[in-house]
Amino acid sequence: MSRVAQLRHHPRTPIAIGVLGAIAVALFPLFRPPLDGLTNDAILALAFVVMALGLNLVVGFAGLLDLGYVAFYAFGLMVTGWWASDFYSSVNDEKGIHVGTSDFVSNLPGIHLNFLLLIIGAIVICAVAGIVIGLPTLRLRGDYIAIVTLAFGEIIGRVFANGDEITIFGDNKLSNGRQSISPIDQINLPVFGEFDSALNLRPYYWTVFALVLVVLFVNFRLRDSRLGRAWIALREDEVAAASMGVPLVKTKLLSYAAGGAFGGISGAFLGPFYTSINANQFQFGFSIFVLAMVILGGLGSIWGVVLGAVALSFVNYWLIPDVLDGEFVRDKLDSLGLDFSFTEVTFGVFGFLLVLMMVLRPEGLLPERRRQMELTTPGEGGLEEPGEAKVFEARV
Amino acid sequence: MEAASVTGAPSRRRSEAVREFISRYGLIAILLILPVVYGIQDLSDDGNLNRLGNNLVEGLSNGAILALIALGYTLVYGIIELINFAHGEVFMLGSLAAAALYTPFGLTPDTSTGGLVLGLTAILILAMLTSASLNVMIERVAYRPLRAAPKLAPLITAVGMSFVLQNVGILWIGASQVAIPDLLGSQKHLIEIWGVTVTRGHVLAIAVTIPLVFLLTSFVARSRLGKAMRATAQDPEAARLMGINVDTTISLTFLLGGLMAGAAGLISALYQTSIWYFQGFSAGLYAFTAAVMGGIGNIRGAVLGGFIIGIIQGISDNRIGNDWTPAIVFVYLVIIMVFRPQGLIGEETREAG
Amino acid sequence: MRVRWLAVLSCLFAAFALAMAACGDDDDESVSGGGDGGGGGISGDTLTIYSSLPLQGTSKGQSEAVINGEKLALKEVGGKVGKYTIKYVSLDDSTAQNPGTADEGQTAQNARKAVQDETTIFYLGEFNSGGTKVSLPILNKANIPQISPSNTYVGLTTDAPGSEPGEPDKYYPAQKRTYARIVPTDTIQGAALATIMKEDGCKSVHIFNDKTTYGAGLAKNVETAAKDVGLTVEGNDGTDKNAPNYRSLASKINADCFVGSGVTGENYVQVFKDVAAANPTVKLYGPDGVAEEAFTNPAKGGIPADVGARTKITVATLGLEEFKKRNNAQAEKFFTDYEKEYGVAQPDPYAIYGYETMALALATLEAVGDKANDRKAVYTQLLTNTKDRESALGVYSIDENGDTTLTDYGLYTIKDGLPTFTKVIKAQAG
Repeated sequence: MSRVAQLRHHPRTPIAIGVLGAIAVALFPLFRPPLDGLTNDAILALAFVVMALGLNLVVGFAGLLDLGYVAFYAFGLMVTGWWASDFYSSVNDEKGIHVGTSDFVSNLPGIHLNFLLLIIGAIVICAVAGIVIGLPTLRLRGDYIAIVTLAFGEIIGRVFANGDEITIFGDNKLSNGRQSISPIDQINLPVFGEFDSALNLRPYYWTVFALVLVVLFVNFRLRDSRLGRAWIALREDEVAAASMGVPLVKTKLLSYAAGGAFGGISGAFLGPFYTSINANQFQFGFSIFVLAMVILGGLGSIWGVVLGAVALSFVNYWLIPDVLDGEFVRDKLDSLGLDFSFTEVTFGVFGFLLVLMMVLRPEGLLPERRRQMELTTPGEGGLEEPGEAKVFEARV
Repeated sequence: MEAASVTGAPSRRRSEAVREFISRYGLIAILLILPVVYGIQDLSDDGNLNRLGNNLVEGLSNGAILALIALGYTLVYGIIELINFAHGEVFMLGSLAAAALYTPFGLTPDTSTGGLVLGLTAILILAMLTSASLNVMIERVAYRPLRAAPKLAPLITAVGMSFVLQNVGILWIGASQVAIPDLLGSQKHLIEIWGVTVTRGHVLAIAVTIPLVFLLTSFVARSRLGKAMRATAQDPEAARLMGINVDTTISLTFLLGGLMAGAAGLISALYQTSIWYFQGFSAGLYAFTAAVMGGIGNIRGAVLGGFIIGIIQGISDNRIGNDWTPAIVFVYLVIIMVFRPQGLIGEETREAG
Repeated sequence: MRVRWLAVLSCLFAAFALAMAACGDDDDESVSGGGDGGGGGISGDTLTIYSSLPLQGTSKGQSEAVINGEKLALKEVGGKVGKYTIKYVSLDDSTAQNPGTADEGQTAQNARKAVQDETTIFYLGEFNSGGTKVSLPILNKANIPQISPSNTYVGLTTDAPGSEPGEPDKYYPAQKRTYARIVPTDTIQGAALATIMKEDGCKSVHIFNDKTTYGAGLAKNVETAAKDVGLTVEGNDGTDKNAPNYRSLASKINADCFVGSGVTGENYVQVFKDVAAANPTVKLYGPDGVAEEAFTNPAKGGIPADVGARTKITVATLGLEEFKKRNNAQAEKFFTDYEKEYGVAQPDPYAIYGYETMALALATLEAVGDKANDRKAVYTQLLTNTKDRESALGVYSIDENGDTTLTDYGLYTIKDGLPTFTKVIKAQAG
């Protein structure tokens, strides 16, 4: 065998490529200016990777179609709005509560918690929210789960959009309604100090990259764990899983809780990154955006979902607004006499993509091996049909 | 769980019946909370039920539009057990088409009554046909290829089509609400009954919906094609064995649903006097709630559900504020789905219980 | 397997830490003007002026009018100030998913784009007060002078009634003022609306607001001002843009006058239509948020003519005849040049705002002469030395908060689908 062929078949090669790739991704912002638009888009892409991985747990692993994922994003963002801004400025006689914040922030009124505490808070709240959302769906199957989760997504979005009319613990509003809560504190990490997104985006990039690594790690461990296998069993055939001793209720609720927690983590990161949050963005379209990433990448396939998330993120935040609507393309269109803006068709492009994927390649770009066999072999069991027992390899 | 209700000891059947009774009347009780509470409040505030009555009339008219759209959802779900997510957009495009036809037909608020009646009837037919063909096209393109695929697939394509059609709406009239000429003076008062104001718009909505529902029900109940639809809904394999062309029957179902949605589109355009690319999404979800509330797969249920959701909407808009109405309607949806997924007059299906 | 994973992860974390350490101190490089008085000026002879407006949705018409005004002012000086060539870049702060208003994510990106461009000397925006809340802190930290053609929300510059606690300081993290606006705040617009309602014989008023920063803020100002002139405020309700209609809400109105405190893009055409139909005798009033053709012209999807006849709108600019009466030569020149350049005899009221915004920016640059490439010098000039400026809007100064001393509001009625100036409102600011 030639040297190259030897390398290609070496068991360590994928690892080496993976590490090199990861290092390249980590070092990428160094080659761009500190406030670069491309770095901005990359940060968003990585945040969506976290979210898509979370949705993948629910839809991909456990097979529960969740159309209301925006609810977890909402909770994550609102956590930063509540506990990392001056929204509750009357607290503690207007002196505020501060835990682990920088000097500048420690003088501001309102509740200010350190970023790491925000993440923990978001995880807890989203896990609880996931369980609450999951409870009504326990007895339902398929389409009905989709509808109930969609309804919850809308309810929660609405509650936050009208939250300025609801008061809790006295005079405090639940949210600022359709107006934004700003500014949200910058991320302040113990060793690395406080970031400043008006001057340098790189620390944000590395933070979200670290979050992605952690989330990926957790995902891989989950998938290969007992719980992960329980989810896959649930997805394949609920009745058979139950008769094999899989505790249905606990398994389903854990999938919502875990999936939701990831959404919360991403939301808690995006709050400080955006520096201003607004309940207007909690729309159904967001849930579909994340779902499209999971579907594009391949339901249940971790690397597929990462790819799908990065791809769609870049399409939405970079390709369409900056390239297709950028000067070069516009000049070309002008010369053809067309007054057409690509940003107007962003919606339609995603919708079309969903239709195309499901008709042509439902298993996604980087499918999970088991799913590929399922979807391409005609008449085989899928999410709903009870199939015959199959013997599969342990490794997917 | 269904099997238990068919065979089994009498005690089990009785407990099933009790459960059924509690869940049905429990749901009715929950639905009555809003009108009763606000009725009592009205009586103590004003001494009469006029305000509630106005809410009800408003709600019935909104409900008529929802009922027509809900019919589309329920017909399609009954026959292929698929939620046609794009149905709301079919309604929206029917509305847009109707509004676009005002000018070619020369209809303005000043046109004579005779001219209006003729023109609007023509537009009604055209809008219905537009929506119907759109619905049939969607079925061919997005659902038929995926009939053998797991349930997740057509659901996602449906959502995808919904987005594509919303974008068509954006490209057609822009992303904001567009006001259209108020041809019928839809807010002009017609009569006052018992202190409740009934406007032209209200009468229009009811007057167009009732005949259409009648026509649809008799078609499905009496005609051969209707029989084919019901047979396919009950058991597609058996229907095929009996010589029914299942594909054509399904397309016909989509056609009928589309016709209803198109009619709803025209009524909405005349009633609201504005069109918006996003109106299909909200109306669609409400209509789906209505279909489930009545009992999905059940035509009478869809109409009943439509009126009920319309009334809830009317009361909520006026008392609680129209920014809360969606949340309230969806809370009702969740309650129905959890406690009585078969709706008020439907039967238990595989999806629930 | 486990050992492999640990090895991979530790490699990655090592890389991460190294990268952070190596690059942690690069913050002050390549961001010109970062930090206090950092490094003097911009190199080269081109200065860039960015404009950020919502170019999609219902605001399109208004924004285009602003842009036309800005370009006209730039053209009048030949695109140069002293030895510097001015480059003008128009940015869109709305998105397809969120048209008709400033989208926060996009606004932040626009602000960062301006910060990253070393030649930026002015940022003209946002159009919506809610958008400025996002861009101002970012631009403030980078010392970029900012002028808004249309923000009226009180809390952006002062803590007068109508603002929230913590405002305006939370928009100035660098603890100095870099923002000015050429339109009076809503304290004055609220007073103008109250004055005109009182003149028209109103006894009570019912307010709807669109729940945005602008609409809700103005509604509060109207409430205060109305009470000050002796009107009873029957209610102040929020409206939801996504509602199909507002009839149920409109039937709650008992007052004889109505104020729709919102922008066209929040579905205020439908609001006015439904209120007018449910209450045939109520008088209707709107603020500058609806002073555009998309609202006033039935042929462009606006309110029908019979509703338009009952509606009065307040805008912080006056009509051509009034300017002529006041011998405002700049205004006359503006109207003439605008018609010559764009062929429109009656420009959208916002066109003159755009014109004056750019004119003010250019005049400030001219006043500092060679130091026009020094951001600090420019914003200092803007906020401390703009006194008794003769402009197309009248004679005004910019106070230390960034607010204009102009308080004239024009009353506009709707004729032939266009907002038409009728008279001046002399309002007492509460």
